[in-house]
Amino acid sequence: MTEGSHGIDRLRGKATLREILEVATGFEASARDFYKDLTPKVSKRIRYLVEELAAEEQGHLDLLTALAQRTDIAEQVQQEIQRTASDSKFSDCLHVPDLGEQPDDQAVLQYAMGREHAAMGHYGELADTTPEGPIRDLFKFLASEETKHKLDLEKIYYEVVHRGGGV
Amino acid sequence: MSVRDVLSPFTAWKNLFRDPVSIADPLKRQAAPRYRGFHQNDMEKCIGCGTCETICQNGAIDMLPVEGIPTKQGDSGLRPRIDYGRCCWCALCVDVCMTQSLTMSNAYTWVESDPDKFRFTPGVDKKHWDDAELGYVRPEGHRLTGELRVHMPEMEPDVRIGSFAEIVDGYSVEQAVLEADRCVSCGLCVATCPTHMAIPQYIAAIRDGNYDLGLKLLYDSNPFSGICGRVCTHKCETTCAARHEGDPIAIRWLKRHIMDQVTFDQITRVVGQPAASTGKKVAIIGAGPGGLTAAFDLAKQGHSVTVYEALAAPGGMTRWGIPEYRLPYDVIDRDVDVIRSLGVDIRCNTRVGKDVSLEDLRNNNDAVLLGLGLQLGRATRIPGSDHPDVRKAVDLLRQATANEDFGTPRQAVVIGGGNVAMDIARTLARLQKTAYGEVRVTLTALEDINHFLADPEEIKEAGEEGVIILDARGPQQVVVEDGKVTGLKTWRVKAIFDEQGRFAPSYDEADEQFHQGSMIVEAIGQMTDASLLGDELTERLTWNRGRIQIDAGGRTSESWLWAVGDMVHGPDVVTAVADGHRVAASMHANLVLKEQSK
Repeated sequence: MTEGSHGIDRLRGKATLREILEVATGFEASARDFYKDLTPKVSKRIRYLVEELAAEEQGHLDLLTALAQRTDIAEQVQQEIQRTASDSKFSDCLHVPDLGEQPDDQAVLQYAMGREHAAMGHYGELADTTPEGPIRDLFKFLASEETKHKLDLEKIYYEVVHRGGGV
Repeated sequence: MSVRDVLSPFTAWKNLFRDPVSIADPLKRQAAPRYRGFHQNDMEKCIGCGTCETICQNGAIDMLPVEGIPTKQGDSGLRPRIDYGRCCWCALCVDVCMTQSLTMSNAYTWVESDPDKFRFTPGVDKKHWDDAELGYVRPEGHRLTGELRVHMPEMEPDVRIGSFAEIVDGYSVEQAVLEADRCVSCGLCVATCPTHMAIPQYIAAIRDGNYDLGLKLLYDSNPFSGICGRVCTHKCETTCAARHEGDPIAIRWLKRHIMDQVTFDQITRVVGQPAASTGKKVAIIGAGPGGLTAAFDLAKQGHSVTVYEALAAPGGMTRWGIPEYRLPYDVIDRDVDVIRSLGVDIRCNTRVGKDVSLEDLRNNNDAVLLGLGLQLGRATRIPGSDHPDVRKAVDLLRQATANEDFGTPRQAVVIGGGNVAMDIARTLARLQKTAYGEVRVTLTALEDINHFLADPEEIKEAGEEGVIILDARGPQQVVVEDGKVTGLKTWRVKAIFDEQGRFAPSYDEADEQFHQGSMIVEAIGQMTDASLLGDELTERLTWNRGRIQIDAGGRTSESWLWAVGDMVHGPDVVTAVADGHRVAASMHANLVLKEQSK
């Protein structure tokens, strides 16, 4: 249930924007695949949650893929930038967990919140260190998206787990 | 005809150039400072309760809708229109106004050529006296209605902690009449009550000493009036007009008073007999308030109803989740026995999915209703929380009701700030007092004390009974030493919501506390055990964000299956009752349609 460690190795060894983008793309793809694989395993009662998470990751993946196909940033992606402090936490998230045969909503939410938290911090730091341009704009956008998702998930978590009732 | 005769009509024209004879304000004299002149109404304060209309002896006030003022909880959206053709300026409307929104300016001159203009809505129809500072306002301390509610006698903390005896005594007839007298019958509460009980009318029945009428009014909308008279969330009281300048009317206690005054035979006589048998059969899974309210309605309509209950006695969470000191079991029994008197067959200790299959219920009945409740407790899943001495509050409360010994801890920590958390904390406190002679329960909650979900009186009473309540503490770890739970580690919660009001807890890690306890009790959210549906039916059903999708009548995407109560609307007794009525109406309509299409 875990992706190979090559992504981490790549991130450790290289720090050009292209490589960082590649790892970020892998990060989003692995999460999307994780949620997609999880969808049939969870009860239909909570499938909406996993499907929504998969859709969000797909959206991020589409953005990164579209950026990679742009020809006008070929020069910028060669630039090396300072590796961020959040690299390791972010890279840890490339390892997707085994949530068991039929995980419940709480387990899915806990994993998703942790992942969004790492991504939020990482994209935020990347946006701070990347030179002006479309890549920086994308990191900024992704950082804000991940922050929003994290807050949304926390709200759901509070309502589902702490506040009252649900199936 | 003379020349003069011809010209004389034109001589009247000269009056055009004269000063008018009628003078709008000939004296221009200021009225006395407290003169009862034209009305003013502060739209920020007015709640449209209509008390002014009721008290007006001349029928000079009508409550009318006003554009731009919507109806909302605690505000009818209506505003008083005053007819100065009828008003006698007695100011009773001002004296009785529940919010002091209605006052009278000392303006007394108003000239109009159209008499209809003298019917106007103060505060809405702009007038020159709107901002007048002088005039008549209700004198300080002058009230036509009682400000404070009649005190409800209850056991002192040091007495009640020694047993599970009911804390609250209930009103005597004299006390109830005094409290009922405070009600102005505005009816704002009716819209707030989920089941729209006829509150002003049953309070009036208490005033008149007519308990048969009061009972009938209760049972018209709520077959769990005994239970709701004790543990209803009484949202009605949050919109009571009396709360604006004093205590809200003790609506819940007055409901209880009626139920305390009547006998079981009186209730069954008022409820009456079911209609002639329709030959239709309904199975209800779960004997909680939602399912049993539906059973009550359906049985009255002549359907044969069987209720399947997994536990040993009916009542759902009202019996298995609420301690006896708040809700004595004989009160539950009486409400349920009334439902049984209509021929409803309640089969306890019968778990659907084990003792009888859902498929059998479907095949042997014309309709099936799920009323499963929220009987499973959520877990924090913090480190150490998988230890056997980390328990769920709902499980312990169930065991306490069944009189099972779950090993009362000498010291316990409860996680949660809702009513369930208070219930288990106070239950443990009683058990500790009996077993060890002292109370050692600490309750920690994420929320600050002003945002606890528990009723304020529950929090107050728990504190009085020796429960230590610590707010804004985030659980981080259950500490286990040598295989035994020793306590709970928490961090202070700096903020629980972000600027947009979303849950985003932030902690002060430096403010760590350790709360000693050999048992940790999780009393956070609850969920439904829907395993009896099985994988196949779960797949067939349509779901809406974790809950079974139902239509307005409670029908699921499966035409034979309805769902009711906490499992679809969240935990609340009176909401479950309201839901039970709605669902029963939908099921009845469907059964009738089925019969007609034969």
